[in-house]
Amino acid sequence: MSSRTWLHDMNPALKFILVIVSMLTLAWFFNPWTPFLVFVGVILIQLSFSRINWKVWSLFMIPIGFSALGYLWTTVLFAADTSGNVIWVWRGIEVTDQQWHTALSLAFRVFAFSSLSLLFALTTNPVKFVMSLMQQLRLSPKLAYGVMVGYQFLPVVKEEFIQIRHAHRLRGIGQEKYAWQRLLSMRRILIPLLASAVRRAERSAFAMEARGLTGERRSIYYEPLHIGGRDWLLAIILIFVLIASSVAGFLLS
Amino acid sequence: MLKSWKLKEVVLMSVFAVVFALVYLLFVQVGNIWAGVIGPIAYEWIFGIWFIVSIICAYIIRKPGAALLSETMAAIIEVMIGNAVGPRLILSGIVQGLGAEAAFAATGYKRYDWWVLCLAGIGSAVFSFAYGFFVSGYAALDPSLLVLMFSLRVMSGAIIAGLGGKYVSDGLLATGALRGYAISRDTSKNHQLKGEAIG
Repeated sequence: MSSRTWLHDMNPALKFILVIVSMLTLAWFFNPWTPFLVFVGVILIQLSFSRINWKVWSLFMIPIGFSALGYLWTTVLFAADTSGNVIWVWRGIEVTDQQWHTALSLAFRVFAFSSLSLLFALTTNPVKFVMSLMQQLRLSPKLAYGVMVGYQFLPVVKEEFIQIRHAHRLRGIGQEKYAWQRLLSMRRILIPLLASAVRRAERSAFAMEARGLTGERRSIYYEPLHIGGRDWLLAIILIFVLIASSVAGFLLS
Repeated sequence: MLKSWKLKEVVLMSVFAVVFALVYLLFVQVGNIWAGVIGPIAYEWIFGIWFIVSIICAYIIRKPGAALLSETMAAIIEVMIGNAVGPRLILSGIVQGLGAEAAFAATGYKRYDWWVLCLAGIGSAVFSFAYGFFVSGYAALDPSLLVLMFSLRVMSGAIIAGLGGKYVSDGLLATGALRGYAISRDTSKNHQLKGEAIG
């Protein structure tokens, strides 16, 4: 089952571009079939070329299901195109088949987008992604290493957030009743968090410069990333799924 | 564009991007659940929160590109953390950053008053709405609903991102942590000028 690691080993920059291209292509379609078929196709690709935890995948999908539902009924009620035959009437609201199709299409689009995102998110190493952006897509090294430093601070920021909350609670603040009060009180947490972030940023920038980071592009990397034959094969498969579902969507509707 | 940037400014944007990437992702979850109940309009009134990092960074660093780069970095970090909105966040981050950047560019990167910050929030709102019109298929929705969504988003951009961004940055300035960044230099110059005028 060696093919099950292909997506994990795929070049992140290429994968990123493919996902973006697929999403931008999907944006042109308003029939329910195309996004639905892409959704199914992406799941099939993931089943055959990746080894992801489907429990995690479903957990990510649950909130997406909610927002898809929102899209569904908003489009049913507020569709721009109200032509076609009326398929049902409920308390004076008439729903035509055209409206229903558009609504289904937008709801499935949410699912198709999310499956593509998860295809990327669950099989990509974040550090390799940034390295690949720098090596393949020529992102400036200053920015790339800047992002990496920030990413390394992620656990520290979480820890600090908890500390600030504890400190506030010890002094008896932070028990707001209403949502808007809680929203305003975000500033009380944000400012100490950001202040220490500023100090940390300064320290690490000095340290990086002291160790010889000039921000110039280099020719040799510690961990060079390439785009190989297998990457192109996966790209072709995904593009095939995209084209096939576009054509099928066109024929079916 | 990056030649004139100090590394400490880039890293500052990046650590801010981390803090706000977490805030952004939290609000995506809130928005998603609301969206199930009231549809895509749920995102509109909180949309300003997603522009805030570009306004805070531009206000503090005061260099061309601060708004665009910080919003893009926040989007990259959101993708690195991993979420179901995914890689297209980078695209929308760039679009939103460009919107804010346009407002700062229009004032020649010289003015950072509250109304310029609001204008930047509005710029982000307009750009992101045009992008959402295409990607999220708003074209299929009724124009009157779209007008409501658009005006909510513009208001949210001006108030949450513009005024909220200023509120947060001014609080941060008061802590003294921003010594060595353009915001402290410019404000202290203002104070001196005022002092001279009075004295």
